[in-house]
Amino acid sequence: MLTDLIALVPLFPLLAALLIALYALPGRPRGDAAERLTARGALFAVTLAFALLAALIVSALIFGPLKPVNFGTWFAAGAIEIRLSFVLDGLSLTAALGVAVIGWLTLFFSAQYMHREPGFHRFFAVLCLFLAAMLFIVLAGNAVLMFIGWELSGLASFLLIGYAHERATATRNAVRAFVTNRIGDAGFLLGLAIAYRYLGNTEWITIAAGAGAISHLAVGVVVFGFVVAAMAKSAQLPFTPWIARALEGPTPSSAIFYGSLMIHAGVYLCLRLEPLLAHAPVIMGLLAAIGLLTALYGWFVGLTQSDVKSALIFGTITQVGLMFLWIGLGAFDLAAWHLGLHAMFRAYQFLAAPSYMHHTGTPARPVPRWLGRRQALYTAALERLWVEAFTDATVTRPAQVLAAEMRSFDDQVVSRLAGTPAEQHAPEDEAASKGVQDDVRGHGLAGAILEWIAPRLHRVEQRLLLTGGAGVQRTFRALGGYLEVVERLLERPRYLILIIVIALAAAL
Amino acid sequence: MSHAADNVTDPREILRRIVATLEHVLPAQASIRDFVHHNTLHGFQHLPFPEALAGARRLTGASAWLPEARFRDFFHAGRILEEDLQTSLSAVSMLAADEVIVDQPAFTLRRRDVYRTALLHPLRPVTAATLAWQVTEHEALTHFQADVSREMQQLLRERTRRQGAANVHATIEDLWRACCESIGVSPELSDDSISGPAPPDTGHDEAGALWQTRLIRKEAMRLLDALTARVGDPWTLRDLLMVLTGEDIFEQTREHLIRHVASHLDEGLAAWHNPARKRGFYTAWRASAGDENTWALSDLPEWRQHLERLPEDPLETIAQELQLLGVKPVRWAGYLQRLALELPGWSGMFLWRHQRPDYNGQRDVPVNMIDYLAVRLVLERIHAQGLCRRHWRMEASLPMLRWHFRRHPAELIVRHALFTTSLPEALHWQAQKRVMRALASAREENDRRWIATAQRILTHRAPVTDAASPRRSRHEHAWPLFRLAQHLGLTGSEIRSLDTAAINAIFECFDRLDPDTAGNVWLCAYEGNYRDQIFATLKANHGRVEWPTQIRPRAQLVFCMDDREEGMRRHVEEVAPDIQTLGAAGFFGVAMNWRGLDDLSSAALCPVVVTPAHAISEVPAPGKELSQQLHQRRLDWRRRLRELAHRTSHRGLLGATATTVLGAPLALLVLMGRLLAPRSTGHLVRKLLMTFDPCVSTRVAFKAVDAATPATPEHPRAGFTDAEQAERVRGLLRTMGLTSRFAPLVVLLGHGSSSENNPHLAAYDCGACSGRHGGPNARVFAAMANRPEIRVRLAEQGLSIPYDTWFIGAEHNTGDDSILWYDEDLVPEEARARATELKMILARAGRAHAQERCRRFATASPRLSPERAVRHVAGRVHDLSQARPELGHVTNACAIIGRRDVTRGAFFDRRAFLVSYDPMQDPEGDILENILLAVGPVGAGISLEYYFSTVNNERLGCSTKVMHNITGFLGVQEGTSSDLRTGLPQQMIEIHEAMRLLIVIEADTGVISRLIERQPSLRELIGNGWVQVAAKDPRSSRIDVFSPEHGWQNWQKEIEAPPVVARSADWFTRHREALPPALLEQGRPGEHANVD
Repeated sequence: MLTDLIALVPLFPLLAALLIALYALPGRPRGDAAERLTARGALFAVTLAFALLAALIVSALIFGPLKPVNFGTWFAAGAIEIRLSFVLDGLSLTAALGVAVIGWLTLFFSAQYMHREPGFHRFFAVLCLFLAAMLFIVLAGNAVLMFIGWELSGLASFLLIGYAHERATATRNAVRAFVTNRIGDAGFLLGLAIAYRYLGNTEWITIAAGAGAISHLAVGVVVFGFVVAAMAKSAQLPFTPWIARALEGPTPSSAIFYGSLMIHAGVYLCLRLEPLLAHAPVIMGLLAAIGLLTALYGWFVGLTQSDVKSALIFGTITQVGLMFLWIGLGAFDLAAWHLGLHAMFRAYQFLAAPSYMHHTGTPARPVPRWLGRRQALYTAALERLWVEAFTDATVTRPAQVLAAEMRSFDDQVVSRLAGTPAEQHAPEDEAASKGVQDDVRGHGLAGAILEWIAPRLHRVEQRLLLTGGAGVQRTFRALGGYLEVVERLLERPRYLILIIVIALAAAL
Repeated sequence: MSHAADNVTDPREILRRIVATLEHVLPAQASIRDFVHHNTLHGFQHLPFPEALAGARRLTGASAWLPEARFRDFFHAGRILEEDLQTSLSAVSMLAADEVIVDQPAFTLRRRDVYRTALLHPLRPVTAATLAWQVTEHEALTHFQADVSREMQQLLRERTRRQGAANVHATIEDLWRACCESIGVSPELSDDSISGPAPPDTGHDEAGALWQTRLIRKEAMRLLDALTARVGDPWTLRDLLMVLTGEDIFEQTREHLIRHVASHLDEGLAAWHNPARKRGFYTAWRASAGDENTWALSDLPEWRQHLERLPEDPLETIAQELQLLGVKPVRWAGYLQRLALELPGWSGMFLWRHQRPDYNGQRDVPVNMIDYLAVRLVLERIHAQGLCRRHWRMEASLPMLRWHFRRHPAELIVRHALFTTSLPEALHWQAQKRVMRALASAREENDRRWIATAQRILTHRAPVTDAASPRRSRHEHAWPLFRLAQHLGLTGSEIRSLDTAAINAIFECFDRLDPDTAGNVWLCAYEGNYRDQIFATLKANHGRVEWPTQIRPRAQLVFCMDDREEGMRRHVEEVAPDIQTLGAAGFFGVAMNWRGLDDLSSAALCPVVVTPAHAISEVPAPGKELSQQLHQRRLDWRRRLRELAHRTSHRGLLGATATTVLGAPLALLVLMGRLLAPRSTGHLVRKLLMTFDPCVSTRVAFKAVDAATPATPEHPRAGFTDAEQAERVRGLLRTMGLTSRFAPLVVLLGHGSSSENNPHLAAYDCGACSGRHGGPNARVFAAMANRPEIRVRLAEQGLSIPYDTWFIGAEHNTGDDSILWYDEDLVPEEARARATELKMILARAGRAHAQERCRRFATASPRLSPERAVRHVAGRVHDLSQARPELGHVTNACAIIGRRDVTRGAFFDRRAFLVSYDPMQDPEGDILENILLAVGPVGAGISLEYYFSTVNNERLGCSTKVMHNITGFLGVQEGTSSDLRTGLPQQMIEIHEAMRLLIVIEADTGVISRLIERQPSLRELIGNGWVQVAAKDPRSSRIDVFSPEHGWQNWQKEIEAPPVVARSADWFTRHREALPPALLEQGRPGEHANVD
C-alpha cells in the first residue's frame, strides 16, 4: 500500500541527520567535497520525503481521502497503549508538504550560504533532525508520537540557537529557550496522562470520537495541558520572551525555526485538537484572549525594534497570535490557511533579511503622534513590557530559592535519614569550629558565671562524646543537623505560614 | 592616556579631552551603507607599524599578526624563502642578527641562527605537565624531536659518534643532560615537576597559626593594592567585582544599554523612538529610566533614588559617578576609555556620529559621546551597587571595598583565588561554600572560616609563588634550549662548553623575539618574497612594450585604479591590442553630490576626505517629460509595493495579515527562483520591470545655471561653470598623462557591484566614490569633455583634443562583468560603428575576465569556458543564498603608479592598483603629489582593512556573515544583542594574503623624497611603514626601495625572470591559488583587434 510509505517520510530526514552526524562527528571531514556530500545527502533525503508526500496527495485527490495508517503497537502496558500510527488527512498531508518544501529550500539555501563554516556538517545534521521532527509533529497519528517530534524539534532548536557556542550570549539564550519550552512539555504530558486515563489512548481519532463521551472536566484538563504546550512552542504570552532570544543562530536556521516552521507547531496542535476544543468553550475563550493579547503585544513591542531579525520576529509573533485568536473564535479553517501562507512568506522574508536595508532604504513611517509622545509607553515597548523580568521575579527566582532549599533539605535531612553519606566535612571546618569554644567571653557577674560554666560543660560534653563512642556522637551530630535545618526553615516566612496552616487544619 | 589630566583641574575640561582621545582606540567605521575601507588601527597611525600593532595588542588584547603557524606553512610551501627570512632578520636592527654569541674554534653561533630556529620551530617554554607528557608520550629525551630535519639528525649523529656516543638515545640523552646542567637544574624528571614540591610544614602550633595570620594579611594587602591599582587602567569596577564575586555586572547592563543606544542611533529601521530623543541620549535615557521596572523586579536597591539624584548635565553626572565610585581624577581617562572599549563597536559608532553632527538626515538627533559615557557609568554603578549590597551590604565604591578587605584580608584571598585561578576541586568547593554562606547570612560573620580556607589556599599555592623567582626550570628553560640544540645540530659537549654569558645570550634572543617582533619578521619576509616577484617582473617588462608613436589607438579606456580592473584592462588589451587603457581614481576628478532620477536624496560621489561643492542631478531627456511622469507614477507604485512586502508585512495587525497571506505565493515563487535559477530569475524580473516601467532616457544636468553663486561644501551649487568643467577635464587628462594622441573614442568606466542579500554591499563598490557606484562620475566627465565650448577652452590652455574624439561614460559591474553604457544616443553618427565594435570587444574581454575570476570561486568548475563563466558570475549576483557574490578587493597587494608601458603585457593576478601617471610630463612632481595624496589613503585604507580583518577576523574583522543581523541601517550585530561588528566579514577575506600595500612609483627617487618630506600625511603613512614604497626609474629598469630607517636602497636581487606565456588564460587555467606574475606575449600595442 502506498499509504504505508508514510512512515518513510519523517524517517528519511532522520536517517540523513544520523548519517551526517556519523560522518561528520568522528572524522571531522574538511573541504568542499565533504560539504557537497553532506548537502546533497540532506537534500536527497528531503526530496524523497517530498516525492512520497506528493504521491500520497495525488492519490488522495484521485481516490478520495486516505485512511490513517497504523503500524502496530509500539508499547502496551495494561490499558495504556502507544501505537505507531500516522494520520493522512488533508491537514496533515498539506502541512507535511509545506514542511518538506520550505525545509528543502532552506537546505538548498544553506548549502551555499554556510559554505566553509566550521559548523557546516553540524548545521545540516541538526536541520535534518529538525525537519524529521516537524514531519513527525504534523503526520503523527497520536499525541505520543507527536510528542516525540515535539521534543526533537526543541532539541534541534536548542542546538542551533547555540550554534556559535563560543559566544556566551548564544549559549545562555539557548538554555533559556530550552528551559522555557519544558513548561510546555509539562502541559503536554498532563494532556497525555489525562487523555490516557479517560480515553485509553491518544489517537487523534479516539480523541475526536471520545470528546463528547467523557466529562467536561476531563476534556478541559486535557485541552488545557495541550494548549499550554502549544502556547509555549508558539511563543504566546507569557512565554513570548524565549523566541526573541532565539535569534542567535545562523540566518537560515532563524528563518526555518522561528520565522516559518516551529513557531507554527502550536497552532497546528490546536488545529488537531479541534474536536476537543469544541467541547471546551472556556479554553477557547482563553485561547482567543491570549492570542489577541499576544498579537497586540507583538505589534506594540515590534514598533521599537531596531534590528531586522527582532522586528521580523515580533511581526511573526503578532501573526501567530492572530492565528490563536481565529482558533479561539472557532475559525479553524481560517487559522489553517493563515498558517500555511504565513509560513511561506516568513521563510522568504527571514532568508532575505540580510538585504532588508537594500529593499527598504527609507526610514520607517513613524508611529502616530498620540502614541509616539508617550514616554512611559515607549519605555514599556522597548523593554518588551518586562515580561521576562516579571516571570523571572515571580517564577524563576522563587523556583531557584525553593530548589536550593529542597537541596539543602535533601542533603541534611533526607540523606541522613536514608543513611547515604552526606557531603564531606572538610577538616578545616572542624578546626575552625573548635576554635570557637575558647572564645566564650562574658561581661559582669552573669558573664563570669557563664565563663566558668562553659568550659565545664564543654568537658562534660567531651567526656560524653569520648566515652559514649561513635554512636552517641553520631546521634548528637544528627540531632544538631536537624535542629539547624528546622531553624533555618523556620526563618522563612512561607514555612511558618505553612505550619500555621497545618496547625489550623489539625485544630479544626 | 593619563596625560589628559595634566595641568587641567576643571573636570569638564578633562572629560572633553578624554572624549577626544577616545578616537584613537575606537573603531571609526561609518554607517554600513556608506562603508568605506579605512585603516582599522587608524588611531595608531602616528606610530611605526610594528609598534602600533604591539600597542594595539596591549590595549585590546587583539593580536594583529597572522599566526606564526600560518607563516611556517608559507615557508614550507615556498611562499617565503630562506633568503627572505634572512633579509628580514637583518632589517630589524633591534635584533642585532649578526652578533656572534658563541665564538669557538668548533662552531660559531650568531643570534641569527637562534632567531631562525625559533621562527621555524616553536621554542616556547612549556608547562611542566606538557614536558612530562612529551617525555612519556614521545620519549622526547631519547629521540629526536619530530620536526628536526633528516640532514640535521644525521649531522648530529655523525658528530656525536665521533665523540663516542653509542646510538641516538645516548646522543639525545646526553644533550638533555647538557642542557639541564648548563642552566643549573637537575635533569631528572621526578613527579614533583608536575605537582610541585610538597608544601612546607607550617605546623599546627600557636606560632604557626600566628605566622599564618600574618602571612594572610601581608599577602592580602599586596593583592589589594595590586587589584585596586588596576582600576582605571586596564580595569573598571566591573572587572574588579568579577574577580571578587565571579559575577559580571556588564552582562546585566548590556542588553538594556544596547537597546537604548541602538534605538537612539537608529537611522530608520524602528518606527518608534524615544520621545525625548531630540534632547540627546542622556536626557532621553533618563526620561525612560524613570519608568523602568526591570530594576525593581530584579531587586536592585536604591535605583530610584540613584536616578533622582542624577544631575541634568551628563558631564556633571560623569564626574559625580566617578567620584562616588572613588576613582581618582588622574584615572578618569583610563577608566572611561576602558568603559568605552567594553562595546567597541557601539562606542565607536557613537563617537563617529558625535564627530559628524551634520550626518545625513539625522541632524535633529544629537549624538554626544559624553551622554553615552554618562549613561554607561550610571548603569555600571546601579548594578555594582546591587552586587556590593548583596555580597557585603555596602556601597559600591573603591574606598569602601578597600576598607572592607583591609578588615577581612582572608576573604580577599579566598575570593580572588576562587574566581581567578583554578583550585583543586575540594578547595574550590570549600571556597565556594564560603562565598555562598556569606551571601546567605544577613550579618557580618567573623573571619574564622575565611581564614581557614585562605590558609589552605596559601599552602596550596606555596610552590607557585616559589616558582616565580628567577630560578631556571626544566620546562621553561632547558626544554627550549634542548630543542634549539637539536635544530642547530649542537652536541651535548658543545652545550657544556658554553659559558654563562653565552647561555644568557641565547635566552635573551628568545626574549627579544617576542610575538610582535616575530610577527614583524615573518611579515617582512612574506612581503619581501612578493615584492621581489613584482620587481623582477617590472624589470623584465622594461622596454618590452612601447606604444608606437605613429599609431593612433583605436580607443582609450579609462578605468578606475581599482585592483579588480587590472584583469579587465589586461583582457581588453589581449582582445584588442590597439586599445590603450589607463587608470585613475574612479571619481575621475569630478567630486559631486549626485542625485539620480530615482534617488530619494543625493549622495557624495568622491573620496571621503573630499566634501563636494557641486550638486548634479539626472533629469529626463528633452521631450521625455511625459514618459518621466509615467515612470514616476510606476516607480511610486513599486516603492509602495516594496514597502508593503518588506515592512508592512511585519508591522501592524490585520494589514500585515493581508500582506503576508496575499504575498505568500509570490514570495515562495521568488524564493525558488532566486535560489534555483538565480540568473534567469534576475533576467525575468528585469524584463518584467522593463515592460511595466520602461526606461526613461535621461541626461545629466551638469551645467551651472547660475554661475554667479559661489560653490561651497555648505551650499553646493547646482552644476559646474564652464571654467570649472574645463578645469576638471584638463585636470584628469593631465594627471593621467593623456595630453596627446587622443583616440577617436575615449571611454571612462566607473564601477560598482550588485548582489543580493549582502549587508556589506557598499564594501564591494568604488572606494574612490565613498562606497558607491562611479558610473555617474564617468558620465558627467564624458558629457563635459564632449562640449565644444570646453574643447575650445582646453585648446587655449594648450590641450587640444581632436574634433573627432568622442568621450563616453560607462559603468563596469564588477559582480557580473557587464557594462552599462550611458548616453549612447548622443554618440555622433560617424562614431557609432566604432562604439558598437568597442562594445563587442568589451563584452568579450568581460567574458575572459569572468573566466579568470571564476578560478577563485570554489563553486565554479575550474574549467569553465568564458561563456559559461560569465553565466556563472551573473548567477552569483542574483543568488539569494550567495555569501560571496564577488570577492571584492581580496588579494590586493600592490599599487603601480606610472605609464601603462611599465605594466602592459604583464599578469598581476588582479592584485595591483594601476594608476596612470607620466613622469615625463611632471618634472617637479606636482601631479604626483596630488596622485599620492588621493591614492595613498584610499589604497592604504583598502589594503590595511583587508590586512587586519584577515590576521584577526574575530577581533578586528566582523566574523562570519551567516550570523549577521542588520541593526538600525547602520551596521550588523551577531544575534540580537551583541556589539556592533566592524571590519570585514570572514567571507570577504578567506583567500586574502595579508601584506602591506607595495606602492611602486615610476619617478625619480628625489622627487618622491621631496613629496614625502613635504606632506605630513604621506610622511605618516610611508615613514611609519604602513605602506611600502619603491621607485622605478622612468628611463631605466633601475628600482629603488624606500626604507623608513635607511632611506632609498637599490634593489639588485638576481631573480629568475617571470615566465612568458601567450595569453593570461594559459597562465591561470586550472590554478585556484594566488599566482606569481607572468609576462604575456599577446597584447603588443598597435596590433589589430581580433573581434569575433
